Amino acid sequence: MLVDVSFPLISILIALPILAGLAIPLLFKNSQKYIIHYAILIALIELFITFYSYGLILSNGSGGEYNFVEGPVKILGNFGIDYLAGMDGLSGPLVLITSILTLLVIFGSRDLIEDRKVLYFSMIFLFQGSIMGVFTQLNMILFYVFWDLVLIPMFLFIGIWGGPRKRYAAMKFFLFTFVGSVFMLLAFILIYFSVSPHSFNIPEIAGKIPLSLQIISSVLFFIGFGVKLPVVPFHSWLPDAHVEAPAPISVFLAGLLLKMGGYGFLRFNIGLLPEASAQYAWIFILVGIITMFYGAIVAIVQTDIKKMIALTSVSHMGFVLVGAFTGTIFGISGSVFQMFTHAAAVGLMFMLSGYLHKATGTRNITVIKGLKFSSPRLATLLILGSMAAMCIPIFSSFISEYMVIVGAIQINPIYALIVAVPAITVGYFLWMLRRVVMSDPKSNVKKWDLSNVSTIALVLYLVPLVLTLIAPWLILDVVNPFSTVYAANFRLMSGGAA
Amino acid sequence: MDTPLVVLVVLTSVAVTSPLYEMIFGKKSLKYVQYLTILSLLVSLILLISSTLSLTPQESTVPHLLRNDTLGSFFSFIVILVTLFVSITSFDYMKGNPNERVYYSLLLFTAIGMTMLCFAVDLLVIFVAFELMSLPTFILAGYNKQDKLSNEAAVKFFILGALSSGILLYGISIMFGITGSTNLEVISQSLTSLSPDMLPFVIFSTVSMLAGLGLKLSIVPFHMWIPDTYEGSPTTVSTLLSAATKKAGFASAIRIFAVIFPLFYFDLSLALAIIALVTMTLGNLAALTQKSITRMLAYSSIAQAGYLLIGIVVLPYTNLGLIGLLYHSFNHAILQATAFLAAGLVRLKTSSSSLDSYNGLSKVMPITSFCLALSLLGLAGIPPLNGFWSKLILFSAAVDGGYAWLALAGLVNTAISVAYYLLVIKRMYMDETSIKAIKEPLIFISVLVFATAIIIVTGLLPNVLYDIAEDITISFLANNPV
Repeated sequence: MLVDVSFPLISILIALPILAGLAIPLLFKNSQKYIIHYAILIALIELFITFYSYGLILSNGSGGEYNFVEGPVKILGNFGIDYLAGMDGLSGPLVLITSILTLLVIFGSRDLIEDRKVLYFSMIFLFQGSIMGVFTQLNMILFYVFWDLVLIPMFLFIGIWGGPRKRYAAMKFFLFTFVGSVFMLLAFILIYFSVSPHSFNIPEIAGKIPLSLQIISSVLFFIGFGVKLPVVPFHSWLPDAHVEAPAPISVFLAGLLLKMGGYGFLRFNIGLLPEASAQYAWIFILVGIITMFYGAIVAIVQTDIKKMIALTSVSHMGFVLVGAFTGTIFGISGSVFQMFTHAAAVGLMFMLSGYLHKATGTRNITVIKGLKFSSPRLATLLILGSMAAMCIPIFSSFISEYMVIVGAIQINPIYALIVAVPAITVGYFLWMLRRVVMSDPKSNVKKWDLSNVSTIALVLYLVPLVLTLIAPWLILDVVNPFSTVYAANFRLMSGGAA
Repeated sequence: MDTPLVVLVVLTSVAVTSPLYEMIFGKKSLKYVQYLTILSLLVSLILLISSTLSLTPQESTVPHLLRNDTLGSFFSFIVILVTLFVSITSFDYMKGNPNERVYYSLLLFTAIGMTMLCFAVDLLVIFVAFELMSLPTFILAGYNKQDKLSNEAAVKFFILGALSSGILLYGISIMFGITGSTNLEVISQSLTSLSPDMLPFVIFSTVSMLAGLGLKLSIVPFHMWIPDTYEGSPTTVSTLLSAATKKAGFASAIRIFAVIFPLFYFDLSLALAIIALVTMTLGNLAALTQKSITRMLAYSSIAQAGYLLIGIVVLPYTNLGLIGLLYHSFNHAILQATAFLAAGLVRLKTSSSSLDSYNGLSKVMPITSFCLALSLLGLAGIPPLNGFWSKLILFSAAVDGGYAWLALAGLVNTAISVAYYLLVIKRMYMDETSIKAIKEPLIFISVLVFATAIIIVTGLLPNVLYDIAEDITISFLANNPV
């Protein structure tokens, strides 16, 4: 079941950025002239390794099992903490988007981040390495270690480079997510002692957890991952964090940090607790639907474009939750695909909001007028980005959302009502474009537009979206074997229904 | 080699003679006193490391008074290491104090008391060691005699300390009355054949001893003196109190409870679990509202005692408890020492321990801020720092021992504690300051950096200490079946 490769690909994926990040304060103590080149170089190497490993999984069609497995290497004596890493069809697309987004964020930081660059770039790489760890660790405690490690760079990002209420937003972000993670850790410990032999390693405990504990763990995981995703009762940190964070960091927040929640739900709730998840799937789906509608409806009335995009994220993450808990191949694949496309689409929108602020000095939708006259390139990209976020079928975000909806309808036709969510989304995005881009220009507005390099960097966000629309197999051939395994397991538990 | 005796002789020879050097060497004597103190502590450290790591059984000249085992060596290694940190940093912190020479002597006397307490297996020796450890700290707490707060600290500490010694002695005498001996091994044997109607007396004696030791363990409801004393004493002394004397108290508590547990482990364990719950909750909640960093760290120290107590709670059920207790004792000692010493340096330079003086500190004292931030994250249990691993083991031990609710309480408490630890980091790294750059003294800083290095290295390589703690636990429980 485990495909062994002697070359430690995953360890390199984790260690390279972290070490490169720690080296930055030593290398660029005096002159920061070449820091951006260094950062791009490291991100490119990382991207190359990611492409290589992703390509291997794609060409072998081995998304249903763990690839490049390393370990188990004992870390804490006989207490079951081992270094065990592997990459399957769930980790693959997420690792891929992590590498892509890091490179794009570094491009974007060129224009938008000016002070304390040394700390900033070393934190970027610490963040990347930790995220890689989250998506590839198969030992629950090491997963938790990386999960918490992600918080520290993000806390500093928001708290140091953020907007006027940055300290409040940073503290709120850290406390919300840390409190959530604590419940998750309790579930890990409970699971450890319930299986025999005691183990924290996911492949060893799958299918051994008693139902009563599965239900308790489901609740604990729901708090832990729900805060991160976020689902509606736990979402209130997200608009604050997004509004205060600088634009490139919002890309990380929406593009990668939220995906940790989605990954957790799929890997742990669906993978480890299929019985409880199958029995109570309707609760999770209901929460997902509420999250979708809440995000979409609240987004309508926002005047800050960044807050609007943040709430769009909340709404999109509802799709991830619903897709996962349909337990069908369509739903699970769609859910992973949605995480991939959402990262690129919303990442672009957040970057654009940063440039919009730079161009007009505000992010207020009602104030900005006639963008198509004052900054034509920005306006064009804003329209394209909105189309990606609206899931218009010229970008692959359409496919992912469509798959989730099909998956939901498969198990119960009543879930067809979630089709209304994309309709609302289209509504408020078009209204925003009508006010910001298509309106008449104010007199005496100074012209400011994107430089050539920035334009190219922003267009790069759209490349994966177009590419996976033309060739969705690039993602689905990796994800489908994974979701086939998980969906079969899930159906078995729900007694053959659906 | 009989490590405890050798260590005691080394330390005593310096402690007793060093106040006399002034008469012989005059003004130069301070340097000699300092160097000799450091030297004696270093020698003891090396002896204790080798004895902790040695696998062959150790001989003991007075086996019925001081048992030369790895548990004692481990704890006394911790307390001597902290004393070493405190002594070195005192070079700067106590500079200019009129009684500087005696200060080092008193530090060493405390170290002697703590070392004895770690090894003692006779209730009377435990009491003597307890007193030897306490008396110098009463004086040290009031060392700034012009300072009203320091005086208050000392008086409060002394009154409660004397009371607790009395209660401890009372408990010991009842235990002697029941069993006819003060030796723990003999007590353990006679308790197995105890007639049931004597049980109330055993309970009474246990409670008295717990109350006596509880003052040093800083568990609720014996915690009243802690915030005031930690705040008023010189911060180096607070470091010693929170990081070292508490650990020696735990070493003794392990030995005593290992003997008493077999008698009525269920009730005792439950009672201790409730005390642990109250201790950690009260400590964390109180720490949230503090305005001064020393008071905040004092309450955090109380909360950490609650976590440590989990190790004793599950002693009859699982090995993991003692492993976690040993492991967390080391980690907490290092983390707490780093945090307190960093706070001491800030107090020395800004003459304030109010949290407001930490605003923007990272710009003026970058190294101190970094060390403080890391130690606070470690205390909060953020991975991959060392505090995370030992807390994880303690909470796992609670689950394994059937106290899942205690693990939940511990985890929720951890989440609460993050708030106040993080607030300090937020102040240091995100707020603005008006203070101009401060020069950080080299010796002080190197101690902080060294301690921080231990925090990081033991965090990244948790295996080393875990294995040691596991070996010690196995050999201790083999000799003292609980």
